[in-house]
Amino acid sequence: MATETGGNMIVRLFYALLTLAIAASVAFFVYQNVVTPDSKYPFKLGLDLSGGSHLVYEADTSEVNPEEVDELMNVLRVVIERRVNIFGVSEPIVQVESSSVVSDEQKERLVVELPGVTDVKEAVAEIGRTPLLEFKLIDEEALLEAVAMESISIEGATVTPSEGSADPYTDTGLTGRYLQSAQLQFAGTGGAGGLSNEPIVAITWNAEGAALFEEITANNTGKRLAIFLDGEEISSPRINERISGGQAVISGGFTPEEARDLVQNLNFGALPVPIELVSTQTIGAALGGEVLEKGMMAGVIGFAFVMAFMLLWYRLPGLVAVVALLSYVVVMLALFQLIPVVLTAAGLAGFILTIGMAVDANVLVFERMKEELRDGKGSREAAIVGFKRAWSAIRDGNVTSLLSAIILFWFGTSMVKGFALVFGIGVIVSMLSALLVTRTLLVALPDRKRDEGVVGRLYESGLGK
Amino acid sequence: MFIIKYKNIFLAIGVGIMIISLGLIFGLGLKPGIDFAGGSLMEVSYDNRPAKADVEAGLNELDLGGYSLREADDESGRDVYMLRTRALSDSERTSVEETVITDGSGGTITRFTSVGPVIGQELQEKAKWAIGAVSLVIVIYIAIAFLGVRWPVGSSVYGAITVLALAHDVMVPTALMAVLGYFYGVEVDVLFVMALLAVLGYSVNDTIVIFDRVRENIIKYRKEHKKTVNAPGGITREEVTYSFNKPFGEIVGISIKDTLLRSINTSLTTGLALVALYYFGGDVTKNFALVLLAGVIAGAYSSIFFASPLLVWYAEWKERKNKK
Repeated sequence: MATETGGNMIVRLFYALLTLAIAASVAFFVYQNVVTPDSKYPFKLGLDLSGGSHLVYEADTSEVNPEEVDELMNVLRVVIERRVNIFGVSEPIVQVESSSVVSDEQKERLVVELPGVTDVKEAVAEIGRTPLLEFKLIDEEALLEAVAMESISIEGATVTPSEGSADPYTDTGLTGRYLQSAQLQFAGTGGAGGLSNEPIVAITWNAEGAALFEEITANNTGKRLAIFLDGEEISSPRINERISGGQAVISGGFTPEEARDLVQNLNFGALPVPIELVSTQTIGAALGGEVLEKGMMAGVIGFAFVMAFMLLWYRLPGLVAVVALLSYVVVMLALFQLIPVVLTAAGLAGFILTIGMAVDANVLVFERMKEELRDGKGSREAAIVGFKRAWSAIRDGNVTSLLSAIILFWFGTSMVKGFALVFGIGVIVSMLSALLVTRTLLVALPDRKRDEGVVGRLYESGLGK
Repeated sequence: MFIIKYKNIFLAIGVGIMIISLGLIFGLGLKPGIDFAGGSLMEVSYDNRPAKADVEAGLNELDLGGYSLREADDESGRDVYMLRTRALSDSERTSVEETVITDGSGGTITRFTSVGPVIGQELQEKAKWAIGAVSLVIVIYIAIAFLGVRWPVGSSVYGAITVLALAHDVMVPTALMAVLGYFYGVEVDVLFVMALLAVLGYSVNDTIVIFDRVRENIIKYRKEHKKTVNAPGGITREEVTYSFNKPFGEIVGISIKDTLLRSINTSLTTGLALVALYYFGGDVTKNFALVLLAGVIAGAYSSIFFASPLLVWYAEWKERKNKK
């Protein structure tokens, strides 16, 4: 970039044309991505613009060793993702979100975004159906006591269970998280060829689960091990011997259909920790489309307002600012496609805000430039000095905006993050557009003093001649 | 410059605006939306909207506690009901849906949001932290950026004044929301917090433009006096003191005049974009645009009519104090 006032005019023109050519090709890239149906870089629309459901689940990790939380949440994410994929949603998003840095208690959440799904009921049911598999040891004495209590109360008397009566079930720590696979089998088919053809579910543990299972069976031979599915006891086989090799069998008087469903559910994921739905957001596709259309309209009109003002007030430099603003818009759109930035209603609003802000640096420079012109400098020198002098204010102003964008991003739930990202990128790109595009074009314009003919007057501003 | 000449009046107006704003905010209160308070919001749009009394009669049979049912138009102008309730469970939602979509009404649920109370609480907490953090970061940044300026007032004074002006810029739109909430039931949501944070980041720019010019003019108009001082122990050291050819108030006045047009024009372009967003954008971002617009206008006003007089007032107060 030429910095001297003298210098070679051809070089300046070359840079100016190069800048315009780059901006034009970026614009072409954006256009191509919009018109090509299966483009690699389409605009990504958030659920509030495309319609869909946004579900937030909270995981109950109170029973889990804090060190394992991250890993478990990851397992949970994979499991739910598999679940969600079954019902054929295009591009679902499942992600783990830890609650804020600022709240006292760290909460683990799972955010599920289902584009196009507006029937939350069905989606929630599908996700919720995933079984929670637990293995608990039975304390026979406590169980007898509990059963006795129950039979007494059935006979009519109101009985409050005695305080001391222990929970007959003790957690073994063995849950569905250690499951590797489940298989449908029929008792008798593999072995002695008995008459019973009862469907059973064979479980294969992963290495960790196998070790745990072996330990439990070794230490508790003779006791019964209850198998719970979603909090309900489905069978309680007696442990006859230490079982190594990581295999277990669940038989609970299933019908073949029940057994098949269970196997499928287990394979598609038993949840490692219980989850609870804490927030839901659903937006109809038509409504989202409407918001998008209006947002784009507002963007175009806002752009036209800013453009008209800059042209009327700043004349020739104003035209340069309009070109810079155009290149700002296309670069932003290209970045939205490339990064990709998920566009939400808030993000769109942020983008429109930055269109108004993007010319600010130009305004600062042009006003400085006018001061230099009044001092009798030529327009080119005035532009160069103007940039130099305006730089500290432009820098300070943009840095503070950028800092607030960063804090917004950190503060953010996904919706806020979208806005913060657009706002932050906007600040950087607008600064670059002013420094590169405006500057390169300004110095390539004919060099005139303020009272030198028509062109000279074009460097003036406002309502005067 | 008349702004500096009548600085006490302008400072009084600025303080008055802040007191009135605070009065409105605390007197009327902000209406928290479900983002913060928790609860459910259902938007149902109809071909033939059933009578409000009928829907309410149906809802009263469900055990919902307090709820509010409001008539409105959606983005495409269809008749809708907005139903705000406490956070609903799955089964409750189903029965509410069955109640509001009566036979022949052609109703569809176009928007449903449900936020648990914990999430709302957490968001409130986060919002306060974020606003505090942004203010703090801006003071620190301005103090550092103006570090070279020690005289007649220190760099941290610029930072502190900037933050006072920011407080003004945030109070005005917040008071606006309090008024709108009181008279039109407008609720404060996450978008409002985002708008406030954007106001913080943006409206500081105008103040920076003026202070940047003050910084430049101080150097332009000051005279340096160097004097060799004999320190104890036979060491000599050079001491630099400054004086102005013009009073500091006049220098700030010149700075305001120099930068007035650009302060107005930068706010104007941003304002134009926001006006477009308000009138042509979707309903969801209307209040967002309004809050930002109020903040941008308040920001332009406060940098010229509040921050600058305050700077002069402080410098003169300090000088008087030193003389005593």
